[in-house]
Amino acid sequence: MSEKILQTLGALRDYALEKGYEISLYYHEEDSYLMRFANSAISLNTNEHLIRLEVTAYEGSKRASYAMITDLAKLDDMKKGIDIANEMAKHAMPLTYQTTVPTYENTFIDVSNFDPDLSTISNEEKLALFNQVVSGLETDEIKLSGIFSCGANTVAAISTRSEHSILMKTSDAQVTIVLSHNRLKWEVQAEQSAQQKSDLDPAALRAELTALLHHYTHDSPQQLPLGRYNIVFGPAAIADMLNFTRYIAFNGGLMKRGYSFLNEENIDQKVFSNQFSFFDDPERRETFPFRRDIYGIERKRFALVENGVFKAFAWYQDDADEFGQQPTGHTVPHHSLCMAGGSKPVNSLGELLNLPRETDILYIPFLHYMNIVNPSKGILTGSSRFGALLLKQDGTVVVPYNVRLTQSLLDIFGDRLSWIAQEILPYNTSLSYGARNPTSIIVPRFMQVNDLEISHSNSSY
Amino acid sequence: MLNQIKQQIERLRARGATYVDTRWYPYEETNSLLMWNGNLKDASSSSESGVGVRVLYKGAWGFSASSDLSDISALFDKAFDNARIAAERVTFPVRLAEKETIEAKFESPLRINPFEIPLTEKIAFLQEMDKRLDQPGVTQRVCSLNFTRKQIIFVDSEGSQIEKIITEAFADLEVNGLDSEGGMHERKFKPPRRGESRGWENIDLQYFSQNAERIVRELNDTLQAEQCPVDDRAVILLPGIMYLQTHETIGHPLELDRILGYELAFAGGSFVTLDDFSKLRYGSEKLTVRADATLPNSPGSFGFDDDGIPAQDNLLIDKGILVGAITGRQMVEEANAKARRTIFNGSSGANRATSFYRVPIERMTNITSDAGQDGTLEDIIRNTERGIVLDGDRSWSIGSNREQFHFGTEAGWLVEDGQITRPVKNATYKGSTVAFWNSLTAVGNQSTWEVCYVDNCGKGQPNQIMQLGHGVPVCRFDNVRIGE
Repeated sequence: MSEKILQTLGALRDYALEKGYEISLYYHEEDSYLMRFANSAISLNTNEHLIRLEVTAYEGSKRASYAMITDLAKLDDMKKGIDIANEMAKHAMPLTYQTTVPTYENTFIDVSNFDPDLSTISNEEKLALFNQVVSGLETDEIKLSGIFSCGANTVAAISTRSEHSILMKTSDAQVTIVLSHNRLKWEVQAEQSAQQKSDLDPAALRAELTALLHHYTHDSPQQLPLGRYNIVFGPAAIADMLNFTRYIAFNGGLMKRGYSFLNEENIDQKVFSNQFSFFDDPERRETFPFRRDIYGIERKRFALVENGVFKAFAWYQDDADEFGQQPTGHTVPHHSLCMAGGSKPVNSLGELLNLPRETDILYIPFLHYMNIVNPSKGILTGSSRFGALLLKQDGTVVVPYNVRLTQSLLDIFGDRLSWIAQEILPYNTSLSYGARNPTSIIVPRFMQVNDLEISHSNSSY
Repeated sequence: MLNQIKQQIERLRARGATYVDTRWYPYEETNSLLMWNGNLKDASSSSESGVGVRVLYKGAWGFSASSDLSDISALFDKAFDNARIAAERVTFPVRLAEKETIEAKFESPLRINPFEIPLTEKIAFLQEMDKRLDQPGVTQRVCSLNFTRKQIIFVDSEGSQIEKIITEAFADLEVNGLDSEGGMHERKFKPPRRGESRGWENIDLQYFSQNAERIVRELNDTLQAEQCPVDDRAVILLPGIMYLQTHETIGHPLELDRILGYELAFAGGSFVTLDDFSKLRYGSEKLTVRADATLPNSPGSFGFDDDGIPAQDNLLIDKGILVGAITGRQMVEEANAKARRTIFNGSSGANRATSFYRVPIERMTNITSDAGQDGTLEDIIRNTERGIVLDGDRSWSIGSNREQFHFGTEAGWLVEDGQITRPVKNATYKGSTVAFWNSLTAVGNQSTWEVCYVDNCGKGQPNQIMQLGHGVPVCRFDNVRIGE
């Protein structure tokens, strides 16, 4: 199949050259499967096979693009797309800077992250995994929700600048299992990210759910008083906050446009806690990595923060072109973000619950609907969800109603960061807006941040 | 193609499917232009076509979609097989509310097809806007045009056949600037829907020019302003934020699939329960809200939903009391059965999919709030002792059951003793949904009512982006926490 893709792209390149066009082609193919559960039933079982081709045409400093959903047999339609893009470029407006046309110096094919056993896992196997995880945990009032999303993803690119091309193929699965009380409205959740079929671990999912369920079905829920808390965040919450940090801190183009809470003067300065190190590391296979960016730049481990010192901005090609910067190989559908683990030997929910504590600790595994309140100050807001616990100083555990947190990322990853767990794991952050783009961020299992303010506290679930 | 689709539907019916429907998109095309600080960063178009097949078998759904129509029989078989497996875990067998068999055609109203406007003319519009936004205080200027046009042919096993051709035109402007402390602020213009149609005719140069000057002026006021105080006072929401308040804390919580727990793995639930219908005082008596899919000029109007149900105008909240929801054929049956009473008399026609390769789910149409009797914006300000006027969405975050919220706005003006005193920056407000709507004490008259559009509402897995609208007046809410 990969050969057929490259042959087709080559034929389209030949067509463009014959016509005297300057173009680049970006190919995306997904074979997506999603089994969705709700109210303890399969509420949707769906699959889509889609091929997208995006043509970008260049004429001097003018640029235009045309995208289509197509299939490999429709060569004439794709050629028509190339014509349309070229015609649009003619009538576009010149940019004030010279735009880079992708140039591939050698052909790069990476299918090492593709596991056919995972991408074609059967409907029966998906259902069996869910049944195994929740066996005996559902009741008339406690209902199962969740997804088993899996598939294969192929991206490829070529341009008229060289005969070489790139192609990368990945398999992925994302499992989310939620148990919720249909009257009381609480929810607990366990999640897993897989790149190979052997990554799937139903026993671990079950253990996580069972531990949370124990508290949610036995403990009395409480409305927390407003005020300051020491908070332990779980993988989902940490990944979400890191994703926002990537967006409003480390993106060079956004910094130049005023959307970042960091600036060029911060480079090589200590901005965060010295416990905090954060990288873009395409060598980590759990991140579904791109080892070349779509301009052909080889991607290597890239330090964003090392021991609290801000190291560098990431530059997308177009921003680098506009602002006269060196591109850093970040023009990819997603980065391979990795936060380094710490020294705290707390690597499971059970260990966290048994941790001796000098103060009450609020455990927030998941932050719902985070958004940026003030990008210049790095302030975000979001609410707890999916299994928060209040670990009381006296050793008891209380289930809190959900709370809202509005805080600066400079505080969360700065001096208020108390400790980071040793263990790191991939947290799947894939969204299915538009084309399939399997993504995960490597995060510590837990991270404690002290003295954070709870600004709203629910009086019920 | 149509005959092949009908033959396949009959074939699956013969295999035991209780219901089959198909949405065939012969075409869906888009055209997007984005100018950023004078650079035409994006000039793009797209096209796609394909078929989505939904099959109901033994009370369970299966869905399959493809752009490759060379083997349409295999596509239908995949959908059937997906349903067959789903039928192994059924707790409440899906059944569909009754509907009439419909053969119809709907075309969204337009005078000028935006796809017939030359690229050079569109770029000239953006250049003119960019020039007008290029003023002192403005560091970033963003102007965009987005157009979509699609043909959808819906066919189901109950004999309905509906053709829809829907064209949308969206244009907006945004400016950003930095205050003396380096804080970034923004001001946008997303034009309210005017007139009776939704084509290129709405891209009115003079109207956009006036508003370009306004947002630059208001941005500069914000850049010079003091920080918004932390305080409890009346908030007066202009349509530019009132639409989002309505969207997030009335629209989403009243989607019946959310109420029934179908979004708990992702988007979240709703604080509303089936017991609440006809009982819950959602808001003060001044609050009357509808799901009105008949407004001609809004993207929340589409003729027929993707269950084949005609567009409707239904009450959701009547003088503060919750009376309706945003529903499709499946959910109303399940809700009535679980409530053991008839809450819903049939589908309200709000089941929509964003593309041929996504399955229909309950989506907002045009969730509109009736204009009130409390006069103009000036009247409401005059009758407010301590308040703040807020406009423009800057950030929004809502609890997982839509029970509480936190919004940041682009602009804020403090009100003291019936007069606007000064602008403030970084304005925010927050609250608990039901308490907030019950603190509604003033609703502006028709002169304050605008239809605002949403072109990026996300929901569902796989995720779907939907377009819709909100007709909203200026509203005042008392004793709201601001500035956090």
